Amino acid sequence: MTETNSGRNGRSGSFGDTVAVDLASGRAVDLAELYALDALTDEERQAIEQYMSAAPAAERTEFFDRVRQARETLARTFRIEEQPPADLFDRIVAQLPVQGSGPDAGTPAPPASGHIAGGQFAPRQPASGQPAGAQPAGGDELAQARQRREERRRPGGTRRWLAGVAAAAAIALGGVGVGSYVADQNDPMNQVVRAGDLREASVDVAGGGTATLLISSSEDAAVVKMNGVPAPPAGKVYQMWLIPKDGSAPVSQGLMDEEALSKPAVVEGISSAAALGITVEPAGGSQSPTLPTVAAAPLGA
Amino acid sequence: MTLLESRSRTSRSSHGGTAEDSRPGDLCLVVMETPNAPHSEAQAAVSDPPADLSHRLSVLLESIGRGDQAAFAEFYQLTSRRVFGMARRVLIDPELSEDTTQEVFLQVWQNASKFDPKAGSPLSWLMTISHRRAVDRVRSSQSSTDREAKYGASTQDIDHDSVADQVGSRLEAEAVVRCLETLTETQQESVRLAYYGGLTYREVAERLNAAVPTIKSRIRDGLIRLKTCLGVS
Repeated sequence: MTETNSGRNGRSGSFGDTVAVDLASGRAVDLAELYALDALTDEERQAIEQYMSAAPAAERTEFFDRVRQARETLARTFRIEEQPPADLFDRIVAQLPVQGSGPDAGTPAPPASGHIAGGQFAPRQPASGQPAGAQPAGGDELAQARQRREERRRPGGTRRWLAGVAAAAAIALGGVGVGSYVADQNDPMNQVVRAGDLREASVDVAGGGTATLLISSSEDAAVVKMNGVPAPPAGKVYQMWLIPKDGSAPVSQGLMDEEALSKPAVVEGISSAAALGITVEPAGGSQSPTLPTVAAAPLGA
Repeated sequence: MTLLESRSRTSRSSHGGTAEDSRPGDLCLVVMETPNAPHSEAQAAVSDPPADLSHRLSVLLESIGRGDQAAFAEFYQLTSRRVFGMARRVLIDPELSEDTTQEVFLQVWQNASKFDPKAGSPLSWLMTISHRRAVDRVRSSQSSTDREAKYGASTQDIDHDSVADQVGSRLEAEAVVRCLETLTETQQESVRLAYYGGLTYREVAERLNAAVPTIKSRIRDGLIRLKTCLGVS
């Protein structure tokens, strides 16, 4: 395809300098892609819509057909993803206007019911009846206690709903992290996950699985949990790094072997760090990261 | 097992809050790991996610239109990474991006009943809302010079585009890459600047120091070529 301005269907000549010229010269349909791309000013968009509302049906149909196709194309082409903060869904729910039925429309409904169940606060539960947020293996009293605390803190059960839905707080505690923290209420991990400003981020790990971070600026720390990440190759370990904002050398935060992978780890001192990186290193770890990272998560608020 | 079954099963298990929760983007992985899944099905799942995901999202939108919060939660779970990812790319600023994402989902809640499956896929509907919101926000909050500068910066650190890394969507991603390569570099550049930079065609022309009609043609021709290559009909 050349960059001459000839119409694709042998239509009239070139695009003009302005949308008004294009509309006047019978090129309205050729504006469909610009329209779909939001590459117009508000005034131009309105001019096109006004034109189309008065246009012959065939022209209008052709235009909106091309708009639709262009939008599908864009949705399939630009597919960047990023995990929103863990509490964002909660904030959205808090703002939902009451819609449809009943005074309890603002109350989280159990997911399986498929309708608003007024006054019913049942959390999402697996068949076993364990609270959402607990490990399916059960018996994790710490996680249950944490959940009870959270439910007390947050009225309306919204937190519970979120925990079930977004799995944000679904990291069950009780494991021993890299630093061998004892899992009691005063340990750093608990302090992080109880922080009021907890955010969640999740990044994919090259080779499979994800790393989930629960980040708290107030605690200046993050909890890192690997999900479904394969064991490091023989003779290798995963090593976590904080990458300082000031551009200085990455600082090792510890090693993870196959066993440690299954346990959440606490990384402290994140305020001066731009990102957390994970690399594969020879057993025993390295002084500086071996690139490329297998996962990197921005920590900036 | 159909993809839909695997998806809803995954979704249910995540409601239980296990540590092994799959993320929406991982769903196709479930299929690929299913030993008996016919190859053709897995192929369709990865190369043409619209079909199945679209169906699920359409069903959810219908329920959301009736005020179903559980459906809203699932819809959010399946799509929020896309919405937030795009907002971050266009707006860069995390807070603006969160605000925009919030607005988008409020709009979903309020307008779900207006969604018409015949008028396009749910994802396209959602991303149209999202892009429009992000562009409105970026244009009102930043000068085009700022946007260009930030766009330039943002393209340096490509990319947290996790989609491209996920096995499930790799084939689709490959198709996109292959199709993008059928565009001229200038076509790609113009479309990207408009989409992620939030620039109007006129701003793209200024930025690239090209004639306005030329940029209009590049965007039109580029998108039509992409559409044809991807088989969008």
